[in-house]
Amino acid sequence: MSARQRILIVDDEPQIQRFLGHALNAAGYDTLLAANGHEALASITAQEPDLMILDLGLPDMNGKEVIERLRLRSDLPVIVLSAHDQEMEKIMALDLGADDFVAKPFGIGELLARLRVSLRPRRAARVDVIRQDGLTIDLDAHQVSRGSDLLKLTPKEFDLLAALASNAGRVMTHRKLLQQVWGPAHVDDVPYLRVFIGQLRQKLELDPARPTLILTEPGIGYRWAQPEGGLT
Amino acid sequence: MEPVETPRLNDNRRWMTAPTLGGFIGAALILIAIGTVVGSARHVLPESVAILLFMMGVLVSAAGFGFWVGIASAFGALAGFNFLYVEPHFSLHIGEPQDIIKLVVFLLAAGITGLISGRLREQVDAAEGRARALEVVSQVSSDLTHVSSQSEIAKVAVRHLNALAQGPALALGPVDGQLRMLASEPEGYLPDASELEAADVAWRRGRPEFAAAHGWNGSRLTFYPLSGDGGKSATPVLGHARISPDRRDHGWREQAIDVVLQQSGQAMQRLSLSEAAENERRRATSEQMRAALLASLSHDLRTPLATILGSVTTLRELGDTLAPAAQDDLLAAIEEETGRLGRYVEKLLQLTRLQSGMEVHLAWVDAGDAALASVNRARRAWPNARIEIVMPTLPMIRAEAGLLEQAVFNLIENAVKYAPGVIRVTGALDDRTLVLSVEDRGRGLPQPITEWLSSDSMTRAPQGSGLGLPISKGIARSLGGTIAAHRNPQGGTVIEIRLPVPEDHGA
Repeated sequence: MSARQRILIVDDEPQIQRFLGHALNAAGYDTLLAANGHEALASITAQEPDLMILDLGLPDMNGKEVIERLRLRSDLPVIVLSAHDQEMEKIMALDLGADDFVAKPFGIGELLARLRVSLRPRRAARVDVIRQDGLTIDLDAHQVSRGSDLLKLTPKEFDLLAALASNAGRVMTHRKLLQQVWGPAHVDDVPYLRVFIGQLRQKLELDPARPTLILTEPGIGYRWAQPEGGLT
Repeated sequence: MEPVETPRLNDNRRWMTAPTLGGFIGAALILIAIGTVVGSARHVLPESVAILLFMMGVLVSAAGFGFWVGIASAFGALAGFNFLYVEPHFSLHIGEPQDIIKLVVFLLAAGITGLISGRLREQVDAAEGRARALEVVSQVSSDLTHVSSQSEIAKVAVRHLNALAQGPALALGPVDGQLRMLASEPEGYLPDASELEAADVAWRRGRPEFAAAHGWNGSRLTFYPLSGDGGKSATPVLGHARISPDRRDHGWREQAIDVVLQQSGQAMQRLSLSEAAENERRRATSEQMRAALLASLSHDLRTPLATILGSVTTLRELGDTLAPAAQDDLLAAIEEETGRLGRYVEKLLQLTRLQSGMEVHLAWVDAGDAALASVNRARRAWPNARIEIVMPTLPMIRAEAGLLEQAVFNLIENAVKYAPGVIRVTGALDDRTLVLSVEDRGRGLPQPITEWLSSDSMTRAPQGSGLGLPISKGIARSLGGTIAAHRNPQGGTVIEIRLPVPEDHGA
């Protein structure tokens, strides 16, 4: 098994491929290149990359379609590169199973951080207790405490917190959270979710008006802050 | 469009109730004529023939003048016959039972004939009434096919309503939340307070407000809101006089009025639909342009930005681990993309200038120099492209050098992007026209773009023309010239910018 992980870069712009190639090589990854959706799917079958960076504006098929086809046979982590006018497509891509997104233009640091989170095995050795920013979340005991104070959460609030915190650094779309916590019948109840997020922030954040744990991805969902120093 | 005179409905005759004086006189004249004939030929004519003649008179009168005249005529005929034939002669004595029978027969014949002919006449009248109503109706629809505004619809409607209801007709439409008169027939008719109130009620509630019954207080006109498409608030109201329910053709008129209202409503709807369609078309066109510009923006602006930011952050954050060759390549990418951004921003500025009706600073310009400058610029931007230039000495023209250079540069850029192979820039003089052309060996421009280039339209560039060609066209036009594309006989495309050479200034 190769020590270096392989990243497939799917973008029709040679310039983007060019700098991403250099950057990812320097960051310790091997890179594969594809200029369109068909090449990407073929490359995934033939070369089994560890992650795909997918531009949403491909010439032959939209990114959504690539993810749909990919998810039929693989749970390869996918990070989508999106432009601001591709908001809907981005949300659909995330709902269809893309792991995260980075908006163009982006600094390489941002992409590498997302890359590391997405490359982390999804079912990592199950953590029972999450400690972050003075907060202790005991997933088994359903208990949350700050320092020695036990915080009172309702069962739904706890489920929501667990869904967010056990995916630290990953964007969770509204739909994904609603489905996971409330069930498939509630996937469109975004206002409902917002209320619960507000309550959680009141209870957990040191300054609920400037949250540092539950971050908002406007129009898309929420992200539990990556712990300082990151997970490697 | 001058509308044709509105046909009017005839009043139907009501034969049972109204025997006319003329009818009685007519019947009397017929009997007198028969009596005179029979009287003068009394000795020749047998009684049976005489009675038939009288009978004929009764039938004619009953058929012609109706039931009551027929009955009266029957009495008259019997009297005449008795007077001439029955003993004692020349008297009106009725004594014998057979006289009673004769009277009964005469009366029966007169009555039946009168009734049958009356009913026939009624049916004829009904058919006529229906025909007239249909005529009105078809007139309305033909009048309404040509209307192009709300007030024209209102005018047509009130004219027909006036004719049908035989009373004043009004159309009112809302202006700033208040009903205002759109049209009236007779013209200048001023509705009274109760009528205005009824119109207002009909408009606000969106349903008909009926006229008060005869002899009661209230509006004399019935008001209907027209169901246009613009929502309740934009709906005009039509009013017409009340039709007396004892008129025989009351039903026909009401139906015709219904049709007028319906058709006016439909015309109103048609009008607002076609307005909506027109607005929609305009919106879609500008939307398309915006979408095309946005797509072009994302392609031409975003990619360089993403490349520059990505490369810079890579150099900064991963510089130590990057191989020197990789560092060089990233720097080269930044340089190239900055150039691309610069060209794009330049184009956007030109486009803005062209679209906002630019001021051209004309000066004497050597078009050959301008073309050479754009070729040099293009060679710097795309070192690998093969660009040739053949430029004889050309007369000076009135132009702005920067614009001319940009126009030619855009054509070269287009060729570099879409046509591999040699690109040739040439200049020539064609009579008093200076021609700068850019030839390539590509697959040729799509037909819509070729057509658009030589058309007069400055907006709505077809999809796929990007920004370069529209800008070149805009520049050529604003310098008083034209631009056109045609197939190169050796394959590929030639795009020509043709500019006028002033009369009095040679090379």
